[in-house]
Amino acid sequence: MTADVFLFWFLAIVTVVSGLAVILMANPIYSALCLAMTMVSVAAIFVTLQAYFLAGVQLIVYAGAVMVLFVMVLMLFDLKHELQAFSRGRFTGAIKIGAVGVLAGLIVGAVTAVIMNMKEGVSAVATAVPSDATKPLAEQLFLNHVFGFEALGVLLLVVAVGTVALSRSKGGTHARH
Amino acid sequence: MTSMGSTTFEITINLIKLVLVFLMMVQMVPILVWLERRGSAFIQNRFGPNRVGPLGLVQLLADAVKFLTKEDFAPDKANRFMFYASPIFALIPASIAYMAIPMSVPLKLESATYLIQGFEINVGIVFILGVSSLAAYTILMAGWGSGSKYSLMGAMRAAAQIISYELALGLSIVGIILLYGTFNLTEMITAQQGILQFKAFGYTMSNSWLPNWGVFYQPVGMILFFAATFAESNRLPFDLAEGEAELVAGFHTEYGGFKMLMFFIGEYGHMMIASGLMATFFFGGFSIWNLTPQEVYQWFFAHTGSELASNILNTVVHFVSYFIKLAIFLWIFIHVRWTLPRFRYDQLMDLGWKTMLPWALANTMITAAIIFATSYFIL
Repeated sequence: MTADVFLFWFLAIVTVVSGLAVILMANPIYSALCLAMTMVSVAAIFVTLQAYFLAGVQLIVYAGAVMVLFVMVLMLFDLKHELQAFSRGRFTGAIKIGAVGVLAGLIVGAVTAVIMNMKEGVSAVATAVPSDATKPLAEQLFLNHVFGFEALGVLLLVVAVGTVALSRSKGGTHARH
Repeated sequence: MTSMGSTTFEITINLIKLVLVFLMMVQMVPILVWLERRGSAFIQNRFGPNRVGPLGLVQLLADAVKFLTKEDFAPDKANRFMFYASPIFALIPASIAYMAIPMSVPLKLESATYLIQGFEINVGIVFILGVSSLAAYTILMAGWGSGSKYSLMGAMRAAAQIISYELALGLSIVGIILLYGTFNLTEMITAQQGILQFKAFGYTMSNSWLPNWGVFYQPVGMILFFAATFAESNRLPFDLAEGEAELVAGFHTEYGGFKMLMFFIGEYGHMMIASGLMATFFFGGFSIWNLTPQEVYQWFFAHTGSELASNILNTVVHFVSYFIKLAIFLWIFIHVRWTLPRFRYDQLMDLGWKTMLPWALANTMITAAIIFATSYFIL
């Protein structure tokens, strides 16, 4: 077993287990922390694929900023009610069992696909990008897809402004009476 | 080792290096604590610890023993898993990020080349920012896991502050990234060696005694970056997270003994990362004033006549140079802590969002415009 194979399986197991924990944990705070863990391990998988820039951005944006805000907001809530709503009741139980079934199917499918690929010798690591993928990525983003990229930026800005506007209108937390 | 580990020998060397850099970081903490206590005493005109050993140096050992032998205590309402896990997590981001900073020129011994850094990663600065931004989780976990209002409030403050200043921190170094055209820390240091000279409008401008350091190109970026790193490491004047007057001690109110010491090590680790990055971005990294490593090597070779000895001496001298810069910035951290009072919370947020962010943005735009103009128009 080479280091690459060991790293792949280790990180894959960590990613899948922490991803499972996101939906299996009763406590939303644990779910959010497990989601952060999933993102960190996905960043580590990017590193093993030599996509260092993507790994760094994954850490900064998703794990470092977005999920921190989620965790922060969740910690401010009194979560006793949510704990009960998600851990009792027939309806949620059925949803849970169904979701776990679908997920188990997905996992089995993914693992068999990987094993078959490995038998054929089509390794994901072998077809990896050149060691410095930052520049090609930037060229793709800012030369070939610059309109879509900027349009997405404007869209995000509109969403942010809209959220603020909605929260300040009637019934929001900062409503002007 | 240039590659991360294709042979057993490389993997072994890399593992040893990881342990060594981690130990170096942890071992600097007691010295920094001693420096901080003696330094604060010097600033405030009192003695500080001076009873145990010469100059009070053995006080550190006594403190460590005291921390180890304290009662292992967890509050009744605490979430025990989080409460015990978060001090351990506090060490991880700081130590991983510190390993990516190059500390000296690579050591050439016979056939192999050893990098004097934990590991080389091509997007060094993105990686360091990404890993150290994970520190917010440990603070949130500690605050929530303690099951105490003071802890939770302190954690909220700290996390909000870290997220706010991360923006200014990231933007303040975009100028330096544009200037050197790379994310790689070693290449940045290489670009800063020698005397100050640059090409503009087709002319080469140079100078006889100033070094080619980033601070002369990016003074505004330097100030913004240094201020933002103070906020990132939760030090005064930004230590709202542990405002003693209102929050007891912030997120580590409920922690005692060695668990508290681990948070301390994390905080000092962030100080060391900040100082190392300041040296790397703006003050030439490990390089010596006005000299390139080749010139230093030539000087040693002329005096010793042995390649092996000159290689080793070259690495050692550059490590000392790096360490002096690191120590100067660490001392500035300590001196500022004992000089400035704490901000009010709204002042803190105003400074982050309404002052530093616009300045960093303007710095980025102006730098980009100047770099474009000086390289595109040839007079």
